[in-house]
This record gives sequence, structure tokens and C-alpha cells, in this order.
Amino acid sequence: MNEHISPTKLGFGILWPAFWTGLPFKLAFAVLFLAFGIIHFENRIALAFVMLLASPVTVFAVPTVTLALGSNIGEGPGIALLFLLAIPIDIWSLGIVGRTFFLERLRREPPGGLGLTLWWKCALVGAIYVPILWVAQGAITEAAIAGAYSILEADVLRGIPVAEGISIKLTLWSTVATVALLVLFVVGFSLVGRMIRRTVQSAGHAPENYQGLIVRWDLMRVPLDQGWMLTALSGAAVVLSVLFWFSLPVFTPHPHDCCKKPEVMAEPPFKPLEILNENEKMIARLAAQVELLVEQRAKSELDKEQSKGKGKEGTEIVEAPDATKPAAPTAAKQ
Amino acid sequence: MSDTPSTGTQPTVAEKIFTFVDERVGLKLLAAKMLNESVPGGSRWAYVFGSILLFIFIMQAITGVLLMFYYVPTADHAYASTQYILHDVDYGWFLLSYHFWGSTAMVVCVFAHMSQVFLWGAYKKPRELIWLVGLALFALVMGFGFTGYLLPWDQRAYWATTVGVEIMDKMPVLGDFLARFLKGGPTPGQMTLSRFFVIHVMVLPAALIALAGLHLFLFRCAGPAGPFRGAPAELKAKTDYFFPRQIWKDVVGMAVVFACISAMAFWEPVVLLEEATPDPGDYHPEPEWYFLFIFQHLRLKMFSGELGQFLGSMGLPGLLGMMLVLLPFFDRNPERNIFKRPFALIGWVMLTASILLFTVSAIINRDFLD
Repeated sequence: MNEHISPTKLGFGILWPAFWTGLPFKLAFAVLFLAFGIIHFENRIALAFVMLLASPVTVFAVPTVTLALGSNIGEGPGIALLFLLAIPIDIWSLGIVGRTFFLERLRREPPGGLGLTLWWKCALVGAIYVPILWVAQGAITEAAIAGAYSILEADVLRGIPVAEGISIKLTLWSTVATVALLVLFVVGFSLVGRMIRRTVQSAGHAPENYQGLIVRWDLMRVPLDQGWMLTALSGAAVVLSVLFWFSLPVFTPHPHDCCKKPEVMAEPPFKPLEILNENEKMIARLAAQVELLVEQRAKSELDKEQSKGKGKEGTEIVEAPDATKPAAPTAAKQ
Repeated sequence: MSDTPSTGTQPTVAEKIFTFVDERVGLKLLAAKMLNESVPGGSRWAYVFGSILLFIFIMQAITGVLLMFYYVPTADHAYASTQYILHDVDYGWFLLSYHFWGSTAMVVCVFAHMSQVFLWGAYKKPRELIWLVGLALFALVMGFGFTGYLLPWDQRAYWATTVGVEIMDKMPVLGDFLARFLKGGPTPGQMTLSRFFVIHVMVLPAALIALAGLHLFLFRCAGPAGPFRGAPAELKAKTDYFFPRQIWKDVVGMAVVFACISAMAFWEPVVLLEEATPDPGDYHPEPEWYFLFIFQHLRLKMFSGELGQFLGSMGLPGLLGMMLVLLPFFDRNPERNIFKRPFALIGWVMLTASILLFTVSAIINRDFLD
């Protein structure tokens, strides 16, 4: 038994395999949500991948980073759902990794409910530490970039060609940023290690010799009922595949300018009875209008005849020109 | 498939078929040989890259065949048929995007596999031949990427090929011949497309299948190297067969890679630029991303001039390739622990860091030019 394992080694030894153990399941959900179109990662897919990989420690930190620090890893309701689904997966993966780690590396009996215990401790440390890491790393990187640019802008170095300048600046700031990130990671693993050390100390020693421990450790990694496990996994794979093909868009979500499909306007559905009724109503309305016009015409002609009769009896009335008839040419009058 | 007859007195149809084939081919022996390979120190995640590469190649072959149903390898129809695949064929955009990102995944996994073999010291005696064949497979994978990049026949494809062929032209003795053979004329055109297509879909797959078979055969002859550290008692206690644990890890690795490639296809589906023309216009020609580090260091002043360009494009990469070929023959120290081989560790870190650095520099330089 390694009694003097450092907190950093302890934290790293449990978290690193737990990250990768849960990843395949989380990735399956992530791909499904991408196919459903409820997640959009934009240009931050690498960051989103890291946050998802490290979800045992980032699960509570992601909302903090998004809401309090105004920096997001993507958009869409699927992100919250994904991190919610990651919780049971992480508890399971921390449980399986924790039990084998306790037995093989620490040679101690893994206590009951180890997965849940490790998960809440990791999530608690992550909720406080990851936003601090985020801010610190952002500030260090910004300062390093500014420093690298100011160094290259010194009079002595102004003559450096563009390609060399880019590489030198990148080397300078990325070295500082990488070293800072590594130090912050080591501190983070150490904090997690310190949090779970008490659980390790309270666990009893495993009684078997090394060969016996390895046999138990090996059996822990294998499901008790392999046939059931294989059936369950095959079923899950089939369901996921069907869901994937069902949700996969048939045509590209990013069409090229040259190949945009013309917008097709759907014609309204043809309803013969309604159209017949409408036409009948329209014919009746038009017939009424025609009838009205005929009546008006007859009335006006009657009025004209009456006024002509009155004119012959009295002074001669000059007839107004009919607007419908063409005016007589002026030359003809002359 | 079962080795023992079913509980009933009469064998089932499946058992009859299995027995029929087994009597003629020796399936039981084959399965035992394939699956009961001893893995010193037990199964490990570090060993999954070889199987993942095989999986990616199979997926590339499947998606490639499906794409070939619609693709027309002529200069006047290549672009239009690729656009047709993207816009009109059901799920065509996903097939093409998966094929595109699959090639990227293959390059990344080849690098990871080679790094694992190098860091584990698994190229040392008696595994020199496996290493050499692996290097040839690495060259084939790069060839796949280079020849496949031209096929969509857009500006990016055309100019990446032009830059790549120009770099190849600087190779002594064979360079001029290779460049003229690949181009088939003064500028890339129908001849270039035909030759790249044939190399991509016929020559390279055949060569890769043959060499991958040889690679596996040599691997089975020499056996797995196992971990580079650990007490003999610990290694002996953990030694296991290839089936089921290593196969399980391989399957999970394949699923993860499939999910990653699919996620990339959703995140950044293939979008073509304008159709290829000999006038680059506003487009700044550059090769595909895994050759960007060579392209970027050719921009450095120390590699200007004819000699500098030759050194940058062929001299240094050629020297690196030669060192990798000769590595198992001049590194005869049986020590495999990477932490006791400081030169190897420092060399790997420097090489990886410089590839990363120059690749990112090229991307920043592209933004600067834009």
C-alpha cells in the first residue's frame, strides 16, 4: 500500500480515468443533441469537449462561468440537458474508477457509495476552483499576449519579418500560458486529492495478497452478468443509431450560394364546394351591380328625354357634349 | 458462434453452418489464434490506436464508395457533382463531411499511434520491421490526404494541390518527374484530376491493405511489447488475453472516434469555395492543415532562396524521415522506459511542440494576410 501518496497523485489517479470512462456515454448524447440541432458550439468546440470530458468537476462551474463571467461554451438548451445527464454517468464512472483505484493502488477496501461521495467532493471543488482557474488563466494569457506584442514592438526588434514575428510572439505567450495552465491543473488535482484523502484514510486495509487483490480488481472491471451487459449495450447502441439516423438532417444545414434551393410557396388546398359557393356569391353580387347600373342608365335616359321636352317648349338649350363620344376636330368647326 | 453443441440432441442450423465452415477453413483455430493473443501487463487504453486506425480506414472505404456512386472525376463535372452530393443526395452532406473529417482523424490517430510506439520503445529489437512498415503506412495516409484533397475541384483543392506539387518539385532527382507525372501538364487540369483520383481510389487503398496486413502479421510474429515499466510479478499477474478486455477497449475507442468525427461533421460540414480556376483571386493558396507547418516554415527568411526552399521543404523533412527509418538500428539500448531515455523524450516534445507552433502560426498568418 502506498501510504504516502501525494494529494496531486491521488486526485489525478482518480479523476483522469474517470474523465475518460464517462466520456463515451456523454459523447453519444452530445452527438445526438447536435443531430437534433439543440446544441451549437460555434468556434468553441475544443473548449466544449474539455468541459464535457471534465464534467465531474465542471458540472457546477459551467453555469457560473456562463452566467457570472459572461463566457459560454456554446448555445442551445441541449447544453444544460447534457450536463444534467452527465451527473449519473459521472457518479457511475467515479464509482467504478474509485473502487479499482482503492483496491489496486491503495490496497484498501472501497467503502460503500464511493461514486456519490467522490462525485460531490469533486463537483464542490470544481464549482469553486474552475471559475477561479478560468479568470486566472484568462488574465495570465491576456497579459502574456500583451507582453509578447510589446517585446516585439521594441525598436531593436522592429525589423523582424512577419512570419518570424508571428512565431516568436506565439512561442512567448503560449509558453507562459501553458506553464500557467499546468500549474493551475496541478493545484486543482491537489485540491481534489486533499478533499478525498479523508475517505481514503477511513477505508480499511484489504486483507488479500497482491495476486488476490489483482483478481478482485480484475473481476470488478467485468460485469457480473456479461450476457445481460452485452444485450443491454447492443440494445442501447441500436436505439442510439435509430435516433441518430432519425434526427440526422437529410440535406446540408450550410448550403453554398450557388446551390440554394428556390423557396417553394405551397399552393392553398383546393376545396371545390367553398370555391363554388364563393363564385356563386360573386356572380350574384356582380349581377346585382349590373342590374343597378342598368336601372341608373334607364333613369338617366328618362331624365334626359324629360329635359329635352322642356327645352323645346322654352328657350333652346345647348346640348352638353357626350363624354363618351370623341370631340370634333377644331379645323372642321372653322 | 459456439464451441459446444446446444443443450438439445440435434445441433441447430447455426451450429451446422459453423461446423461446415470450420471443417473446411479451421474457424476455431483461426478464432483461437486471433483472440487468444497474450497481452503482457494486461489490456490498456494506450494500445487502442492501431484498431482505431483500422476502423477509420474501413469507414473511409465505406463512405468513399458511397461518394463514388455520385462523384464524376472530370474537370468540368467534379465540382458540380460534389455540389450535387452536398445539396441533392440524401445524407450526402454527412457522408462527405464524415469522409473529410475521417481523413483528419486518420492523420491525428497515426501520429498518436506512432508517438505511443516511440514513447513505449516498441520499435526496438525484435520489432524493427513493424516500425518500418508502420512508417510506410504513415506515408500512405499522407498520400491519401494529399490526393483526396483535389477531388472536390474548388479553389481550396486546386491551390492546395498546386502548392503541394511545387513542394514536391523541389525534391532532388525524382522531384521534377513526380511533379510532372502528377500534374500531367503545365497547370493542374483533367490529367491531374484523373491521376489523383486513380491513385486515391485504387493504388493507395490496395497498397494500404497489403501493408496493413503485413504490419499485423509482423506484429503477431513479434508479439505485443507490453508496458515499459512495472515489476515482473505485477506484469505477470496482470497479463491477459486479447479477448475480451482489449477488444472491449478497442470497441469503446472506435465508438468515441465515430462520435468525434460525427460531431465535427455537424459542427463544420464541408462547404466548397468557388470552382477551381488558375486565377487565385482573393484566395491565399495554402496546403491542407497537416502540411501547414512545412508551409509556414518556408515563409521564414532563413529558408528563402532556392537552397533555403529546398532545405525547408525537402531537406529537413527528408532528414527527419531518414532518422525515423534508421531509429531502431542506431538506438540499440534495450531500455524502453521513456523516463530513462531523456533524448527521446526531449526530441518527441520538441518535434510535437514545433509542429503545433508552426501550424498555429500558419493559421495566424492566414488571418494576417486576409
